Amino acid sequence: MTVSRRTVVAAALASLPARAFAQAAKIYRVGLVSVGAPDTTVLSPAMAKEFAKLGYVEGKNIEFERLAAQGKLDRLPGFINDLVAKHVDVIVTASYPAAAAAKERAGSTPVVVTFSGDPVATGLAASLAHPGGNITGVSEIAAELSTKRLAVLKEAVPSVHAVAVLWNADDFGMTLRYQAAEVEAKRAGMLIVPLGVHAPDDFDTAFLEMTKKPPDAILMVTDVLTNLNRKRVIDFAAEHRLPAIYEYANLVHDGGLLSYGPDQRTIFERAAALTDRILKGAKPANLPLELPSRFELALNLKTAKVLGLSIPESILVRADDVIE
Amino acid sequence: MSISDASSGRRPRRPLFQKYFTALFIAVVVPLLANGASEAWFGYRDQKEMLSQRLRAEAGSAADKIQAFLDEITGQLQWTVQLPWRDGSDERHRFDVLRLMRQLPAVIEVMLVDGNGVERLQVSRANPDIVNSGIDRARDPAVEGARSHRIWYGPVTLYFGSEPHMTVAVAGARETYGVTVAVINLKLIWDVISAIHVGGSGDAFVLDPAGRLVAHPDISLVLRGEDDPAAARLKELQQATSGETVEGRDAEGRAVIAATAPIRGPDWTAFVEEPASEAFTPLRAALWRTGFLLLAGAIFAAGLGYLLARRMTGPIHLLEQGAAAIGAGRFDQKIDIATGDELEGLAQRFNEMAVELALSQERSERIARLKRFLAPQVAELVDGSEQEALLDSHRAEVVAIFCDLRGFTSFSHAARPEEMMGLVQEYYEALGSIITSYEATLTCFMGDGLMLLLNAPVPCPDPALRGVQMAMEMQVAVQRLMSGWRERGHVIGFGMGLAKGPAIVGRIGYEGRSDYTAIGNVVNLASRICGAAEDGQILMDAAVAAEIGDALPLVPLGSRMLRGLTETVSLFSVRPTAPNLTKLPPGKVLAVQRNAWQS
Repeated sequence: MTVSRRTVVAAALASLPARAFAQAAKIYRVGLVSVGAPDTTVLSPAMAKEFAKLGYVEGKNIEFERLAAQGKLDRLPGFINDLVAKHVDVIVTASYPAAAAAKERAGSTPVVVTFSGDPVATGLAASLAHPGGNITGVSEIAAELSTKRLAVLKEAVPSVHAVAVLWNADDFGMTLRYQAAEVEAKRAGMLIVPLGVHAPDDFDTAFLEMTKKPPDAILMVTDVLTNLNRKRVIDFAAEHRLPAIYEYANLVHDGGLLSYGPDQRTIFERAAALTDRILKGAKPANLPLELPSRFELALNLKTAKVLGLSIPESILVRADDVIE
Repeated sequence: MSISDASSGRRPRRPLFQKYFTALFIAVVVPLLANGASEAWFGYRDQKEMLSQRLRAEAGSAADKIQAFLDEITGQLQWTVQLPWRDGSDERHRFDVLRLMRQLPAVIEVMLVDGNGVERLQVSRANPDIVNSGIDRARDPAVEGARSHRIWYGPVTLYFGSEPHMTVAVAGARETYGVTVAVINLKLIWDVISAIHVGGSGDAFVLDPAGRLVAHPDISLVLRGEDDPAAARLKELQQATSGETVEGRDAEGRAVIAATAPIRGPDWTAFVEEPASEAFTPLRAALWRTGFLLLAGAIFAAGLGYLLARRMTGPIHLLEQGAAAIGAGRFDQKIDIATGDELEGLAQRFNEMAVELALSQERSERIARLKRFLAPQVAELVDGSEQEALLDSHRAEVVAIFCDLRGFTSFSHAARPEEMMGLVQEYYEALGSIITSYEATLTCFMGDGLMLLLNAPVPCPDPALRGVQMAMEMQVAVQRLMSGWRERGHVIGFGMGLAKGPAIVGRIGYEGRSDYTAIGNVVNLASRICGAAEDGQILMDAAVAAEIGDALPLVPLGSRMLRGLTETVSLFSVRPTAPNLTKLPPGKVLAVQRNAWQS
């Protein structure tokens, strides 16, 4: 007999309804911290939907503390301190600065990071398999994706030579992406116009720059800061008939021409799943950082039409998301 | 009541209830146990066999699903090696790759190699495409493998030490079609593996030949990379597998039963596992059922044993009491048992026995009473023929015989009591056997004397002759005794007297103490004649002598005046030592008598 009495007893104990009740009665508290605007990234309804899919009902068995820094990075340490003081079960961050603040201040509170670039490259985690400390989350494929974006842009609009790169120069993860684009441009014989921004006001400076010396196209490294100002960038691009490539499909939906990057919904899904594992008792140290496994090429043909561009077949054939 | 107290006070060493319970319990429990054990054993075997079959089927199905995932990829890759590399075909090849990558998110990188083994195109999801790099890939193991096997599966590698990737290469039907090498992100098998459910909470996972975890519903486990302790447990499970099912512990440490199936292409192994606790649920239910039945059986046996024992012990106690009552001589007590079975029969036998015992005791008491004055055989006869009426008072012609010792009174004064009693004992014993053999009726002892009757209560032929013959024998016997006594210096004589005549005979006395006696002149006469007899002399009256006639040589002694009598009596004597040829054997006399009574 392999069924030992202990197994039977253990099985019986495990099936005791008391535990299920205890779990049902517990209300988990999750802090959601973003550098950007409310209703974006982890604060977005799309994120809440992923929690709902896992059986969490807001107000019933989960409560969210949603904190948006609105681009003001100096607010982040205070946010993390507040959440730790409130004894939230997990802190979910979006952006590298939020992740860095959480790593520094969250102490023993588990942290799930998202949209923070490559956590290993930025030093947030020791490795993907064993992040160490209380940090896990979704990594974004290394900065090399910027090179791919540049290549896609070049393929979509072969005449492009000078590309203006807009990025949040305060975000180390984003700076890595800019650097990768610069290397690729050199390899492909293209020219990069670096337009690093630090604050919303810097965009005006960047636009002025581009007006004075127009580039052939724009590559916007998408982080919370640039995302907050996406409308201005998209409008500027349309106004100056500049093809532009972004990182996430939502910017293409907002009128951007192209985007190439990890599927955001998958990132939300994995972040919610990791949070769920932690709420159910898993240790972050046992939960490897996950790389995005789905990438999306989005294309807005309306914008292309406005710009008078004819998008080559090789782009159309690989576009996952096409806005007609 | 003392009897019931005695019987209930004695507790049985092993009461019936205990025995019945034991027997019934064994009768109920042994088959139950045998059944339970066989059910458990066969159930376990069947369950294991069924489980094994089911798990193997599940494992096969899981392996098929993983295989289908891979076949989908290789199938799609085949489309990229359908055309030879010609001038101007580059763009077409590229489009094939782009379409493929859009359809298969798991493919993260594709490299096309032409018929000469030269790299023509590299498309990656993360990096810019590389067109016509011109690198010679002919010696690349993937290219070589695909060329020789059409489809080649590379080893599983961990991307950044975490994500499992695998290189797959397919070759076209002709060498000029080239080879397509693709890198696959195996993390996407999760969609397939997490959809497989085995039983209630069982699941499936995949290991590569090195025991590295390729796919598991817990994606974190896969991503933890090399040397993860939880994944190592699964490796142990793989090493324990021998084709059939295997028992071990899964990544979470649960005791599981697992089955495997090979995934042929990449030489992986698909595992399905089910927690042992869950797999054996039906078996556990059977064991519980048996346990419950055993308990019920024990209760049933106890109940039945109690009832049966009670049905038995009640009558048995009654029998016990009845037997005790009979033992105490209370034959009138009836045992009342109406169980309709053998016990009732036994009770009836007891009752019958009591009646018979009562009768028998009554009879033996009666005979004992008769034996006080009748010879034992006569007493039996009188009782057996129910002729007790013989004992009633009536007038009869009797021969009365008296005898006593002479000089006994002076002897009794001189002798020590023990000596005297010993002598008297010898004397009576010598006489008793003779009296019994002649079936004379002993009416009373008078110290050293006796009074005997013949012809009463039972008539006998020739009572006078019998009386004299008996007297002669008695005289001889006593004389023989006395010669011994004389040697011891005791001067004692023995005389006898007989008379014949009518007397009233019958039983006199009161409850439990009755004697048979004769009242009449003949008794007085015999007593007086005895008084007249000298030592060794047997005297009789004329009536006796007349009846004897010539049967014995009698000596007439003439008429004598006897003390206490008003008239003279003619006396006769007989020589005590004279041999008697006409003496009848006592048995013959009885036989005659019996005939007389029966007629």
